[in-house]
Amino acid sequence: MTAGRGAALAVGVVFGLTLCWSGMSDPEVIRGALLLEQSYLFLFFASAVLTAAVGQALLRRVRARALLADEEIVVSRQQPERRHVVGGFVFGLGWGVANVCPGPIATQLGEGIPWALFTMTGVVVGILIFFRRGEKETEPASDGHEKQSARPQPRPRIREEPSGVG
Amino acid sequence: MIHEQLAWYVAGPVLGLCVVACRALFNGRLGVTGGFSELIVKLRAGSARFDWRGWFVIGVALGGTLFLLLAGEPVFHGYGWLTATFEGFWGGVAIAAILTVAGVAIGFGTKTAGGCTSGNGLSGVSLISPAALVATATFFATAIGVAFAIEAVIA
Repeated sequence: MTAGRGAALAVGVVFGLTLCWSGMSDPEVIRGALLLEQSYLFLFFASAVLTAAVGQALLRRVRARALLADEEIVVSRQQPERRHVVGGFVFGLGWGVANVCPGPIATQLGEGIPWALFTMTGVVVGILIFFRRGEKETEPASDGHEKQSARPQPRPRIREEPSGVG
Repeated sequence: MIHEQLAWYVAGPVLGLCVVACRALFNGRLGVTGGFSELIVKLRAGSARFDWRGWFVIGVALGGTLFLLLAGEPVFHGYGWLTATFEGFWGGVAIAAILTVAGVAIGFGTKTAGGCTSGNGLSGVSLISPAALVATATFFATAIGVAFAIEAVIA
């Protein structure tokens, strides 16, 4: 799907350029925000979330079909599990130390900043460790696929626990 | 113009529209970590037939390159508190080690939580997904705590 490839690339370029232009690939800007000295990141983040929320609500309201995927637009909302807290905590440690998250690591690489090679190497190792542990993908390409794979299961029969065990 | 930080009320909505675009085009959730893992999984299998997530993240990196071409120089020099604190050759070695270890935490943590600042923070929170709200609150609080702890030690 060449159209999809080009479209994804174009959205990525806009995203990356905006991250750089807003200073997000500068660790000092992130640090200033995390030390609660600058409000920019929080205003920026909140306005992005609000725009995304309104836009996606409109897409669902008109029951739009995805333009480049043969499925109706649905979104998946998950209930929190232990992994969201554990993963968020481990990621927060790395973010607090290196003052970059994955988006800025990608833009730093594109900007030719050598330090980003180390952070990126770490990220690759971290992702490989995750998969080595036999974990399954947590970020599917489409929320529709997830819905398909989660077909209604036959209602489980109530089984009697074997007595006298344990 | 490009040398001045873009106003938040322009930059924020542009990022938000990128999230909407990924939803409208692919019914997908914009996420940089998802793109990294797509690249890693496909490349390890000896394939370059990436799905949209892989091409998206390649685009993000190229966005950085485009910025470099337009601005003539990267947005910063040095590397924040790390290059301000550690100097010389061994300082450089220490920074490289710290960044690599931090990178492992970022890669492993984001995959475990199912998203980074973009996947959970931006896309997930905009859908009011309870899991994304919990993950985002956790990584913001942790990172703020770590930043204050580092400030206390190096100041």
